[in-house]
Formats: sequence, C-alpha cells, structure tokens
Amino acid sequence: MHYGILKNYIGGEWVASTSGELLDVHNPATDEVIARVPLSTADEVDRAVAAAKEAFQEWRETPAVVRSRYMFRLKELMEEHFEELARTVTTEHGKILDEARGEVRRAIENVEVAAGVPSLMMGYNAEDIAAGIDEDCILQPVGVFCCVAPFNFPAMVPFWFMPYAVACGNTYIVKPSEVCPVSQNRLFELLDEVGFPPGVVNLVNGAKGVVDALLTHPDVAGVSFVGSTPVGKYIYATAAANGKRAQCQAGAKNALVVMPDAVLDGTVAAILTSAFGTAGQRCLAGALVLAAGDIYEPLKAKLVEAAARIKVGDGLDESVQMGPVVSRKALERILGYIEKGVQEGAELLLDGRRVAVAGNPNGYFVGPTIFDRVRPEMTIAREEIFGPVLGIIPVADFEEALAIIEAIPYGNAASIFTSSGKWAREFKYRVKCGNIGVNIGIAAPIATFPFAGMKQSFFGDLHGQGRDAIQFFTDRKVVISRWF
Amino acid sequence: MELGTFGAILRFAMQIEEQSAAFYEAAGKVVPSLQELAQAARKRLARLEQARREGVAEMILESITGLDSDAYAVTLNPQAETAALQAQSQALEEATARFYRDAAAKLPIREVARLFQRLAQEHESAVHKV
Repeated sequence: MHYGILKNYIGGEWVASTSGELLDVHNPATDEVIARVPLSTADEVDRAVAAAKEAFQEWRETPAVVRSRYMFRLKELMEEHFEELARTVTTEHGKILDEARGEVRRAIENVEVAAGVPSLMMGYNAEDIAAGIDEDCILQPVGVFCCVAPFNFPAMVPFWFMPYAVACGNTYIVKPSEVCPVSQNRLFELLDEVGFPPGVVNLVNGAKGVVDALLTHPDVAGVSFVGSTPVGKYIYATAAANGKRAQCQAGAKNALVVMPDAVLDGTVAAILTSAFGTAGQRCLAGALVLAAGDIYEPLKAKLVEAAARIKVGDGLDESVQMGPVVSRKALERILGYIEKGVQEGAELLLDGRRVAVAGNPNGYFVGPTIFDRVRPEMTIAREEIFGPVLGIIPVADFEEALAIIEAIPYGNAASIFTSSGKWAREFKYRVKCGNIGVNIGIAAPIATFPFAGMKQSFFGDLHGQGRDAIQFFTDRKVVISRWF
Repeated sequence: MELGTFGAILRFAMQIEEQSAAFYEAAGKVVPSLQELAQAARKRLARLEQARREGVAEMILESITGLDSDAYAVTLNPQAETAALQAQSQALEEATARFYRDAAAKLPIREVARLFQRLAQEHESAVHKV
C-alpha cells in the first residue's frame, strides 16, 4: 500500500505543501516506501497558526458540554476504524499488531477522558474570604497549542495532549514525526469527519523547520513534546525564551530491580515484555536489570532461554512477538551499541545481530540481545539505546540497586520485582523516577493519570494526560467580588 | 501453529467462530436445528472482535506459551448425512470449548479470560443440543 504524498490539514482543508522537499516513509519490515512526507515551510506553519488563532474565539465560546460531544464522535470513529488504525501503525512503525492495538486503545482512552471536560474544567470558589467578599477561580482556555510528536507511538502520543487542549477550548496544531507520519494523517481524516469548526485542529507535516517556526511564533501559546533529551531541552529552552509554556517528555534509561524474593516466572515474562516489546523503542522500556543477590543466576538463565524463543518478524503476522526497529538508521545505531558493549567488556549472552527473518530480507530486524556483567560506567549502561538490548548488572542488595538508579541521569521509569511489601514501599518512596512499577515491567500510566517523568526525562512541571493536561491547557483566573 | 500472542489467540478464536458459522449455515439446510448454532457463532464473533479491540492492555502483553491451534482442528464436511453432521457438530463444539478453557488459563487479561470461560460454557451446552 502506498499512501502517496501526505498533505497538511489547515483550516479544515487538506492542502498540498508547497515545499519541494519530500522524505520517503518506509515500512520497516520490508523497506518498501509507503508514503512521502513534505517538509513544510515556515509560511505553511504561519497559515496553520493563523487558522487556529481565528478559530479560537468561537471555539472557546462553545459550551464545554458541546465540545465534549465532538470527543464522543471522535471516539466512535476511532472505534469504527480501530483495526485499520492499528494496521497503519504497524505498517509504518513495525511494532506488532497487539502493541499497535494497545496504542490505539490508549489514544481512544485519552479522548474518553477528555470528553469529561464539563466536569474536569470546573473551577472552585469560597464565600466570605473577608466579610461579604467571595472568591472564584475560573479555568479558561489559553489559545493556540501545538505538539511535536515522536516516531515510537505515532498514533497515541499526540492524543496525550490534543484531546484535552481542544476539549478545554483551545485550538491545536500537530506536527507528527516525519519518520512515522501516516497514522496521524489518517487520524486527521477522522477528525475531519467529526466536523470540528475549521481551524480547531490542524496538522503540519515536517521536521525541524516546522518545529522552529512553531516555537518562535508569537501566536502559539504552548508546546508539548515527546522525544530525546537533547531535543527536549532545546524545545523547552526555545519555548521559554519565546514566552510559551512547555511540557517536554524526554529520554530514558529504565532499570528493573529484581529482589531475591521475586516470583521468577512472572518476573521473567514482565522483563521480556518491557525490554523487547515494541523492539525496545518505548521510553518506558526496561534497559537494565539489577539482579540482587541469589536471584541473579536463575534469573539470567531464564531470561536468556525465554528471549531466545521470541519470534521476530513482520508485525502484521500475528504469530510474531517482536517486530523490526523503525529505520535503517536506528538499526545501525543499535548494532553500534551492541558492538560497543562487546568492546567495553560486557558479556554477550544473546546476540540479536544474527537474526534472520524469512521472506523479509530487507527489514530492519535486530533480535533480542542480552548483555551480562554490565557495569554502570559502560556506554550501554549510561546511554539510551532505544532498541531491544537488555543489560544485566548483578548487585549485592537493594541499596546498591538504588544507588545505580540514582546515578542514572534519567528519571522516566523504574520497576521493582519482589514479594515484599516493605521493599516495594521503600522503592516507590525513594526512587527518583516518574513512573514506578511494582511487579510491572512497563509502568504506563492510563489516561486519567499523568505520564510522569523526572530528572533529564522531563522538562516542565505539568505532564500529559489526566488532570495535569487540564491544568496545562488552561489559565486560572481568580475573581474577588463584593457587592455594595 | 503456535498461538504465542494475545492477538494470535483472539484471531484463532474468531477463525473458529467464523468456520462454525459457515459450517452450521450450510449444514442447517440438512439439519434445520443447526441454523441456531450459526447465529450463536456470529454473535460470539462480534463479542470476540469487541474483546480484541477493547481488552488489549499494553502493559501486560506478555508472550504466551503452550497453546497450539493444531490441537483443536476438526475436519468438517457440511455435505455429509444427518448423523455425520451431528457427529461433526459435537466434535466441533467439544474442541472449541476445550480451546476456550485452555486459552482462558493462559490469557494475561482478566476480562478476556472471563469472556473465554463464558464462551467455553456456551459451547459445552451446545454439545448437548446437537
């Protein structure tokens, strides 16, 4: 299937980009070109912002209960096209269909939660803050917001933000990943079908040029970002310098602590899903196993045995358990990290470099890879690989595990596997990470909770999803009144 | 074929129900009481499709082992005589019930496992109807 040259969606119309610059979008399982994405110009960003700005006043005056009905219609359309959306995600990203379905489900969940905006956006008040004087706090929409989305969840991530922004009465511009733009373009066809007033939702395809134009545009009020730490820092700093609010979810190096009293079989299954699900291309992926005490040897043996059985292939084949990585560039980067791990002296227990997928000779496949005897100072222990590479670090005890996590500059997620409530409580209390798993390998917050993050994994204060999103996309106005 | 993922199990369940519906629709021309089973299979197909769409929870999509579709294969011939059709129907219902029971024990998602238990019961009671 070829989706052709993708268009921008501006002011309720699909418009071809005037930019002559196009990038190929590949199916990572086959290397086939499935679409071409334009690198839109600053002028096109300007037109999208102008359309969003023009739509804002009428949209913010639309009652919240009416705005929420658009969310209901969007949810229904997404349900109706669920399987097709999941297949689109798999085709452009490579993740297996189950994972793509999980992604689309999470996108829908955010629409469902945002549909509660008539309640979520209510303010609060107090009578008699002084004699005869009352005080009210009103939540109001702000204006034009945008998001800069990553490749790894091409359908879901913009939906951590856009449904809330729009439900709150703002207008919106999505800049999808230029590596995986097709899902978001398809979702905008559904948004078009919903029938939002022109300019309420807009899509501009492109790369850094579009991002810079959005970040410096005087009529953009704020930006949401998910991606790497260097880009997150850049976006946060540029947005702040231009007087915008920003929430920037960045890189990760997530540790999974396994205590000696962990339930071994369940722990192994959870670690494998965490490390190798979506071919390790999740910001919540487990990258390091910190095996405490006696569990180290049996855990290691079971992990390697089970990981070696994972079936790698085209994610559209339902028997496949792990798909390809997103691009040839990503594949080469991951292979480079594996080589680096070998050079630095880690013991390669399972080598994914030799994986061969029958019928897909050109796919970007790398199999599950496990290193043992990883030391915290090694490159593969410090840097985010964003691929199916797991490092095992034997540790003496809980305190040593915690010290290693403390030294990691990222703070996106961490998990503990234990049968002890005491260790679980100690872990969630002390560890400096935003998303904590207790006997869970992928600590993914559902839509009613914020997608948290600390240290170099998040820049900002209010996160995507849930009540944080409502706060981010509104201003608080306080009214103090007295009647003579 | 090994059913090693949530999606593979749901797809196989849907294939079984689709196959059952087609078989009973054809066989119902000879044994009219089997038409009712065709309708029941179509309804179950819709419930399975909904479960696949709504029951997926990414954080516990762990790999599944020890389930193979070959263990539940039944040879069907809707052109057969009445007695043979009834025997085939019985074998189909028994194998399908057994699949749902086995799969329910493996599925990591509780709501879907419960659905599979209910579908197993439906097929078990259908054994007595054919």
